[in-house]
Amino acid sequence: MVITIPRLGNTHMAMRALFDAFGIACIIPENNKAVLQRGTAAAPEDMCLPFKIMMGGFLGAIEQGADTILLTGSCGPCRFGEYGELFSRLLKQTGHPADVIVIDAPAEIGMKTLLSRFGRIAEASRAPRRVKIAALGQAYQILALADALDAAAYKLAGYERETGACARLLAAFRREMRACRGPEAALKVLESYHRQIRRIGMDPSRKPLRVAIAGEVYSMFEPFANLNIEERLMRMGVATERLLTPTWWLRDLVLKPLHLNSPEVKKRSAPYLPVPVGGHARETIAHAEYARQSGMDGVIQIFPMGCMPEIVAKAALHGVDVPVLTLVIDEMTGDAGYDTRIEAFLDMLEARRRRAKRWA
Amino acid sequence: MGVRKLLLGIDVGSVSTNLVVTDAAGELIERLYLPTAGRPLEALLLGFSQLAKRFDDAEIGACGVTGSGRQLAAAVVGADIVKTEITAHAAAAIHVGPGVRTILEIGGQDSKIIRIEDGYVTDFAMNTVCAAGTGSFLDRQAQRLNMSISEFGACALRSTAPVRIAGRCAVFAESDMISKQQAGHAIEDIVAGLCEALVRNYLNNLAGHRMPEPPVLFQGGVAANAGIVAAFEKALGVPVIVPPHHDVRGAYGAALMAREVCGPTRFSGFGCVTSGLFAKGFECDGCSNGCEVVALMRDGEPAAYWGDRCGKWGVKLAGTAADARRQTTSA
Repeated sequence: MVITIPRLGNTHMAMRALFDAFGIACIIPENNKAVLQRGTAAAPEDMCLPFKIMMGGFLGAIEQGADTILLTGSCGPCRFGEYGELFSRLLKQTGHPADVIVIDAPAEIGMKTLLSRFGRIAEASRAPRRVKIAALGQAYQILALADALDAAAYKLAGYERETGACARLLAAFRREMRACRGPEAALKVLESYHRQIRRIGMDPSRKPLRVAIAGEVYSMFEPFANLNIEERLMRMGVATERLLTPTWWLRDLVLKPLHLNSPEVKKRSAPYLPVPVGGHARETIAHAEYARQSGMDGVIQIFPMGCMPEIVAKAALHGVDVPVLTLVIDEMTGDAGYDTRIEAFLDMLEARRRRAKRWA
Repeated sequence: MGVRKLLLGIDVGSVSTNLVVTDAAGELIERLYLPTAGRPLEALLLGFSQLAKRFDDAEIGACGVTGSGRQLAAAVVGADIVKTEITAHAAAAIHVGPGVRTILEIGGQDSKIIRIEDGYVTDFAMNTVCAAGTGSFLDRQAQRLNMSISEFGACALRSTAPVRIAGRCAVFAESDMISKQQAGHAIEDIVAGLCEALVRNYLNNLAGHRMPEPPVLFQGGVAANAGIVAAFEKALGVPVIVPPHHDVRGAYGAALMAREVCGPTRFSGFGCVTSGLFAKGFECDGCSNGCEVVALMRDGEPAAYWGDRCGKWGVKLAGTAADARRQTTSA
């Protein structure tokens, strides 16, 4: 069995370590323009951007020998629920057949189905049971530490004394992770970078613009799908915060049946959007409301073109008293117009501060 | 008496490259509107050679740059401030009268709406992937009707019964126009219909559910078109003001913003644009990101790089958007 998974933010670091420990070969596609071009050509035109990116990646991975696709699913109301089935059919049509294993919440597909799907992967591994269980724990740790490192860098970039220090640290971290094999090595790299980021010189007297990043979940996890919004903002000395991370998502998956994950999401979003509309629309609104309550300067909402839940969220965001910039991404999005909007939005946020000061 | 301190504003747009020189109070002294014609550096070279005849390098006290080519221009001329067209247009409009509430801006390749309250931008929108409703589209239609773009507006004003044209998409609008023309409608009614369609499209896409509040200012190259102005007034029911020098307002705004920057100017002088200067793009193969990096070459030597995500090629040019922002926020 040679597995491939979609590249999705930091999840590939955890998954790579997990499959290394399991002794299962795993091909994780890169996300770049060439991959997107391939995916766009093979996917239905009106399918969403995440599908096209994943499609391009799978085609390449299958050509390199992958035979099984591991995918998270959703029986939810948006098109993401169709991904598994559609991949399976399209790949067959294009002469790239592969098994598609869809992992979904036990509440949706039943515990038995879920375990049997996991079983197919576990069977392919000759590693002892105790190693597998340990590796699962380590994979979670890798994911949590990687997400925490990102979050720290995105926020601290607003306060760094030397321009670009946080961005350089992240770039070096990603390079090192790329070369690293097995969970122990990955954890060592992560711990080292967590120590390093604490040593970056900070100027606490700076008052950087603080911006919340919210929107559709794939665009939140995968920098390629949001045109690297956070890295762009780091370069401009903006401190950003984001609620949706793979770690958050995983906790949500486990805790949702118990109603324990982020209880504030429901509370904060209820006045603006009292009913769930699918996707992560409520999280988007709740994060905007959090930004308002904690005195952040603004919110940038990002979603792929045609994403239904986020379109609803966009309308509901008009009710939250905080400046919002909505960026809609598709395969034709050019960098220039995107930069212009972001820069103009930041100018506007600065003007708001000056205005508030004048009337204070 | 020392040398007078002038402000230089540069707007490198997709269609035109505009330069203005103002005095310290923001009074316009010189303005140039030059076609970019796909070669922004050549347009700058031409503009600077004209300005150099009238002004001394030492007279320029501050220099502001805007437009879609702002990064390139800033790297070449040494800008004190680099801002987007949206911010520049707002600065220019607020200078005219702080009471202005709405700016309509239609340029060569994009269109924007900017909302203002007590002299501060409160909201803006910029059109996305649609060419219908931009100057380039009007240019093309005028060309097709064998009419100069300057006659276009006057022709629209002669219409008594504008036809209804589907303005959602440039391609559909064009085929709709052709079918109306073949059906025998008068040319002025078609032209006026096109103006109305464009305005309708603009308002639907950019203004959304919030109607623009007066006073409304109309800036950008397309503001020269009396037909579009009339269509806006008809749709909005309020007067639409076209300020003087409406076509170089971005450059004018950039000059005004440069005034706010303290310290000696970074302007490298009118001689900085030479024929030995060119930019070239390449795809970085350092990792899988495949960033499209641009190198600015001066006499065969790289002078600046931008477009790389990781900073490997060094966004070392003075006055990048990020640097400028850090200065203002840390102040």
